[in-house]
Amino acid sequence: MKRFLTSLGLLPLAGFLAGAVDRFPRPDFESGYQYPEYSYAVPNEMLWDIIDVSVLLILLGIVTWALFKKRTKGPILAVSIVSVGYFGFFRGGCVCSIGSIQNVALAFADPSYSLPIAVFLFFIIPIVFAFLFGRVFCAGVCPFGALQDLVNVKNYRLSRAVTGALSIIPWIYLAFALLYALTRTRFIICKFDPFIGIFRMGGDIGVIGFGILLLLMSVFTGRPFCRFLCPYGAILGLFSRVSVFKAEITPKKCISCDLCHDSCPVDAIKAPYGNKTGETPVEGVKRIVVYMAVLPVLMLAGALIMRWSSPDLARANSEVRLYEMVTAYEAAMDAEMEPEVEAFYSQGRNLGELEASKDAVLRSFRLYSTLAGILIGLVIGLKLLEMSLKRGRKEYEIDYASCVGCAKCFDYCPQNKALAKASVQNPETDR
Amino acid sequence: MSEEKNNGGNLIDGSPIKRRDFFRKIGTALAGASIAAVGVGGATKVKGNRKSDLYWQIDHEKCIQCGRCETSCVMPVSAVRCMHANKVCGYCDLCGGYYRTNAKELNTAAENMLCPTGAISRKFVEEPYFEYTIDEALCNGCGKCVKGCSSFGNGSLFLQVRQELCLNCNECNIAKVCPSGAISRVSYEEAYKFKDHA
Repeated sequence: MKRFLTSLGLLPLAGFLAGAVDRFPRPDFESGYQYPEYSYAVPNEMLWDIIDVSVLLILLGIVTWALFKKRTKGPILAVSIVSVGYFGFFRGGCVCSIGSIQNVALAFADPSYSLPIAVFLFFIIPIVFAFLFGRVFCAGVCPFGALQDLVNVKNYRLSRAVTGALSIIPWIYLAFALLYALTRTRFIICKFDPFIGIFRMGGDIGVIGFGILLLLMSVFTGRPFCRFLCPYGAILGLFSRVSVFKAEITPKKCISCDLCHDSCPVDAIKAPYGNKTGETPVEGVKRIVVYMAVLPVLMLAGALIMRWSSPDLARANSEVRLYEMVTAYEAAMDAEMEPEVEAFYSQGRNLGELEASKDAVLRSFRLYSTLAGILIGLVIGLKLLEMSLKRGRKEYEIDYASCVGCAKCFDYCPQNKALAKASVQNPETDR
Repeated sequence: MSEEKNNGGNLIDGSPIKRRDFFRKIGTALAGASIAAVGVGGATKVKGNRKSDLYWQIDHEKCIQCGRCETSCVMPVSAVRCMHANKVCGYCDLCGGYYRTNAKELNTAAENMLCPTGAISRKFVEEPYFEYTIDEALCNGCGKCVKGCSSFGNGSLFLQVRQELCLNCNECNIAKVCPSGAISRVSYEEAYKFKDHA
């Protein structure tokens, strides 16, 4: 319905006859019969691309302003609602930045793949914002994060070890998503997108069930999808960690009231911590060196395991599956013909050519699964390293890699409240 | 630059904060450089195909009417519909896309009709011709009539993705399960692949 409104034009269903089967001759009508004319609306996808990217930029701008100038969560809440409504329910969740990773990776690996410009912009713009201001995209522009934040009521905190272990999953997910995207097998981020079924109110029941489960979880703990599944959030975290500008909870002095730490849904505010392990610097350095030495071992192990399992992973690929079907069919000619096998024969393909293309797929699977294994090993190793670093903290610190910029801490900080009150009562002073 | 070096040198003085700042600056520089690289690289990938690859569509020459369009689309009712090219149609009385092959009688009783949703209707034109029309509100894209018409008739019925229904997913679900690889992204000009076009 909505798409009629912006249809680029109508393609008429008329023209000249060509390529028909003609078992029966075209009738010679004597009664002056006229062929009916049909025309079909074609929605203007280019226009929608422009609208989507503009909305993305505007929402990112509002969140950035709310985080750095306004210092309150009100506008971010509004952005969340707009985002869930527009990107989620209205646009059906496609295209999204999370899925765009796959398109961009595929475009770099395969020159024959043409990258849609909107997909590329959805990939790069949130990263640029993360590089400049932190994860403002996650704050409320991403409909998935926004949806989880809107239903969040209580924050039951998970232990540091559990959080650390679970936060490796996004990277493993990313490794597999890249593997399956680069081998042109499947965009698994799109296929197993837990919330898209909720936005579209339809789809695979298992995935929707998982989405509902995640939403129920996010009532009690902040953003389980963002923290423990989202591969794009993991990438944004890298840029956010070293971002040019960084949001601060309060410009005034911290009074160590612990309220911000308590309010943070993603556990990004680290409380002061006295390092009492009593380790001498030399011991610490030795420990780090040992972990550093373990890192290549983990990477090698990951590479070997993934390389070894690549033939099994490749069975998700349609060419490999088709090869299995065709050989199975030719081994037992009386078996019922699968549609794939039927299409294979009707298109006049032969087994030799299929085998060659299957081998090519297997080769690329071997390469990319090895690389994915290295990535997984690296991530696990680095996480172990990070978790074993015992730095003391004198003050509350924000972990910018995990901070999603939801601005909840701003409204909890009593120093901020005092600031807001003072500026309302006395707008001239206290700037 | 010289300032950064000084901070790095503070390592010996035991001032970890400044060392951390130094690493952070390196990180920022690396992040900026990688964004620039991906940005420039990505821009070259999108150049020149701004208008192509906008819509998902079925190539009816490859389609084998397996019936997965009906069940695999992410929409509750598939965005695929049957279309009819009247100029290809033979206007037959005994239509392979209208009646079942084993129809007992040639009438509109449900057991004789091929279409499971009753989306195909016909109108008498003149002896012996009938005009067939698809009610797209009822059609679910199962392709049974297309199979019948392609097997016994001129092949004037064909399946197409209706663009105003299609959600334009990043990766089309039916394109991935299509056994003959008939579904791909097409340009605006090819948004529909009509059968009575060249």
